Amino acid sequence: MTASQILFQQIINGISIGAMYSLLALGFTLVYGIIELINFSHFNVFMVGSFIGLGVLQAFGLSGQSVVLTGAALAFVLSVAFMVTMLASGALGVAIERLSLRPLRHVKGPAAMITTIGISYILQNVVMLAIGARSYNYANPLPSTSWQVDGATIQLREVLIWIVAPLLMAALNFFVNHTRMGKAMKATAQDQEAARMMGVEVDRVVMLSFFIGAALAGASGLIFGLYYNFTNFMIGYTAGLRAFTAAVLGGIGSVPGAMVGGLIIGLIESLGGQYLAVRWTDVIIFSILVLLLVFRPTGLMGRMAPNKS
Amino acid sequence: MTELTPTSAALRTTLMRPVAAIPAPWRKPAGLLLLALLVAAFPLVDSNQGDIDAAANACAYILLALGLNIVVGFAGLLDLGYAAFFAIGAYAYGVAASWQLAPAWSSFWQPFALLGLVTHFHAAGLNVVHFNVSFWLMLPLSGLLAAAFGVAFGAPTLRLRGDYLAIVTLGFGEIVPIVARNWPQVTNGAMGLNGVAAPSIGSYSFSVFSTPYYYLGVGLVALGIFVSLRLRDSRMGRAWLAIREDEIAAGASGINRTKLKLTAFATGACFAGIAGTFFVAKLQTATPDMFMFPVSVMVLVMVVFGGMGSVWGVVLGAAILQLLQSWLLQDLTHWIHVLGRAVGSGALQAVDLTQWIELIFGVILVLMMLYRRDGLIPAGTTPVPLSIQQQTIELENGGITLDLAEVARPPEHPKKPMLELRGLVKRFGGLTAVDGLDLTVPAHSVVGLIGPNGSGKTTTFNLISGLDRPDGGTILLDGAPITGLASHQVLERGLSRTFQTIRLFPNLTVLENVMVGAHTRTRAGLLGSILRPPRIAAEEEATREWALQIISIFGNRLLPRLDHRVSTLSYANRRRVEIARALVSRPKLLLLDEPMAGMNPAETRELASQIKSLKDFGLTILLIEHKMDVVEQLADKVVVLDHGEKVCEGSAEEVRANPDVISAYLGRTAAHA
Repeated sequence: MTASQILFQQIINGISIGAMYSLLALGFTLVYGIIELINFSHFNVFMVGSFIGLGVLQAFGLSGQSVVLTGAALAFVLSVAFMVTMLASGALGVAIERLSLRPLRHVKGPAAMITTIGISYILQNVVMLAIGARSYNYANPLPSTSWQVDGATIQLREVLIWIVAPLLMAALNFFVNHTRMGKAMKATAQDQEAARMMGVEVDRVVMLSFFIGAALAGASGLIFGLYYNFTNFMIGYTAGLRAFTAAVLGGIGSVPGAMVGGLIIGLIESLGGQYLAVRWTDVIIFSILVLLLVFRPTGLMGRMAPNKS
Repeated sequence: MTELTPTSAALRTTLMRPVAAIPAPWRKPAGLLLLALLVAAFPLVDSNQGDIDAAANACAYILLALGLNIVVGFAGLLDLGYAAFFAIGAYAYGVAASWQLAPAWSSFWQPFALLGLVTHFHAAGLNVVHFNVSFWLMLPLSGLLAAAFGVAFGAPTLRLRGDYLAIVTLGFGEIVPIVARNWPQVTNGAMGLNGVAAPSIGSYSFSVFSTPYYYLGVGLVALGIFVSLRLRDSRMGRAWLAIREDEIAAGASGINRTKLKLTAFATGACFAGIAGTFFVAKLQTATPDMFMFPVSVMVLVMVVFGGMGSVWGVVLGAAILQLLQSWLLQDLTHWIHVLGRAVGSGALQAVDLTQWIELIFGVILVLMMLYRRDGLIPAGTTPVPLSIQQQTIELENGGITLDLAEVARPPEHPKKPMLELRGLVKRFGGLTAVDGLDLTVPAHSVVGLIGPNGSGKTTTFNLISGLDRPDGGTILLDGAPITGLASHQVLERGLSRTFQTIRLFPNLTVLENVMVGAHTRTRAGLLGSILRPPRIAAEEEATREWALQIISIFGNRLLPRLDHRVSTLSYANRRRVEIARALVSRPKLLLLDEPMAGMNPAETRELASQIKSLKDFGLTILLIEHKMDVVEQLADKVVVLDHGEKVCEGSAEEVRANPDVISAYLGRTAAHA
């Protein structure tokens, strides 16, 4: 491969994993936008989501990459897998909010954030104790179809991400901007008290933001499995931190920001891995996170001042 | 406090009988002595090396928890990458006392060899430098090195608000172990440092025996407890707690927040650096895995479990969790296996409870946050309840009977106005909240600032006191410009204020709240607060005395409640505490933002006469107040604001008759009626 072909290939890879990070970043941004909470449990909702997806695919009799589906069968199995995963993950998000975070809504200080760290630990270790610490081979019905474009390879799994992620983001965008509940969400993000006085049921809005965020994390977890063909109880931490960086990069609280931030982080990961060294990828990403928070805490597209108190 | 049932109260009395037999002043020293004896006797009683070893390890984690407690518990800075400083301290000693670097020998190293920091190893075909810096030298040096990293990392990041700081520290905590892994020349990468020298005293090497490490660890923990307790009750500690409770009020009380946060961060890092050196010397190896995120979380769990800000609570919390990890879970696992063999159950024999530890940590975090946020031993003491007599005491209305001429610092330029605003402007987006305001407050006078809601009174106060930066204009205090200074600098120059919505430090006591106000008038630094030499002890005592005198302005309204948390006080008493906190800094000019709001007529009269007394002591006062009778009674001059501009100024009667004032308050038709 020539240098430009390598670059093109890495851009394709970067956009694909970037789209996955975008979906995950949206959950951070939605919850932060509404109740200004950095939700560490999101890390492992993503991980649980990838296992739920695995369970659904296995329920269709798929195991590993041995069964390959095409056409309508493939579309059907994948739609069901995404739907069930998103609903179940969303329900998990709602349960977390309802049981552990709502009682702390009006407690000042870091109590709620510390709770989400605890929840994250619980999710990760329950999964580890229940099904073990080993990596699972992901059930994947995608045929290994690929196309050669200008010397680079585009695989079906990448095309799948390019279809699913924009679809979900467009749906979210439509929901936030054009539905009654979406407008209530925007109002609550601006001023919770004022929204409450206007008759917005803030509790429902918060719950909804957790549901949507967790559902997107679930979708993202399923994509992770289909893309990398494995999952284990530890995938939430690294992916979660990178997605969080993406949310901050785009400007936490900003929905389009999370989308763009995810793509940038994906590109940094693929290009950094290619041209620098994989072992320094995390240092690059976290350095960006630290420098960004210090020098431009509003991110690329965020309008929310981080010192608002 | 929860109510005790009669049975449990009786049980408690019975159990406490031996304690009650000891005279009260001896109880604390006796308790400490007993604890010290138990801790000292432990290796003699329990000769199992494994147990002693576990206890020595526990000491390292207790030390870590004590350090994180200063950062999280005292200063309220959530640090999720604390293990990074542990790593820095560990690698510092690991590299300085092992064969890892071993550069080729040259005469450059000769002076170091003479100092005993390195030796010349010339054998087996090698001619290299062997680093063997003494453990006892590296112990404080690692602490300082970690503190230096803390300063370097904290300086740009500590101005971020809480949750952002948590993320930034998390990122730092990730970067340090990755660097350790990817820098094999210095750290030997993922393999880890090997053959780190054990500490020795004279010719006695600690080697791999557990007992000397145990005593060393206990000594370090005792030092950590001592330092924490000293800091908690010092000028520094109060400032940290104030920042944790309310940053804005802390700034307005004269605390340089950035500097104090940095000090807390560095102190915490120093603890971790020392713990790291101890830990590595004990294990004689260091690998990047020992300093990952789970370690930071574990130390956080210890602090949360024990009680954020509570020194003994944190020690207990850390000790219990270490006990759980290295003894209880292992023993339980063993017994379950025995049971499994007895009943022939393979499943039981396969159980490994030690793997449950992180799950338990998670559950502890969530449960503590939901049901017991103060931890096992909450910080702060339960005050003695007031007697009925104390609660119902009536104070005769009237001014201050004490002579407190010292309360007001005399102006340096008595001829000039105490405060002068020239063309002050503040815009919020499209709204001009203060629009070219000119205002003078003569020395030794009371000026009332009135105006309808939204006329820019509080914004003016915020500009004067340094909470907001003006977009234009000049502010002169006692002839000197203070425009654009930070709130703590403004206070230092002699201007203090109260807030319309009372801003106190809710979980500090009345006395502590007031003493915080003396921050800029006292000097005790970090070392002074820890060592407490006679000069600092005297300063602390003088601060306490002075705070008590200021509090006694309000007669016995506050005096019986000195050790009560201010969050338990009535509204009027909280106002009084806030005024006392502002006065304790010996201001030249006092800004009072609606001090009478929410007070009943009797309380209003009482406070008014006290304000009058303050003026008689020589204090200059600028007052925002809506109760016109109070303004008329107190103010030498009244200034009326509307839409951020001065409508008129003059005596109360002049202002009352001014048609512009009437139209500002009641509308144009009323003015022409």
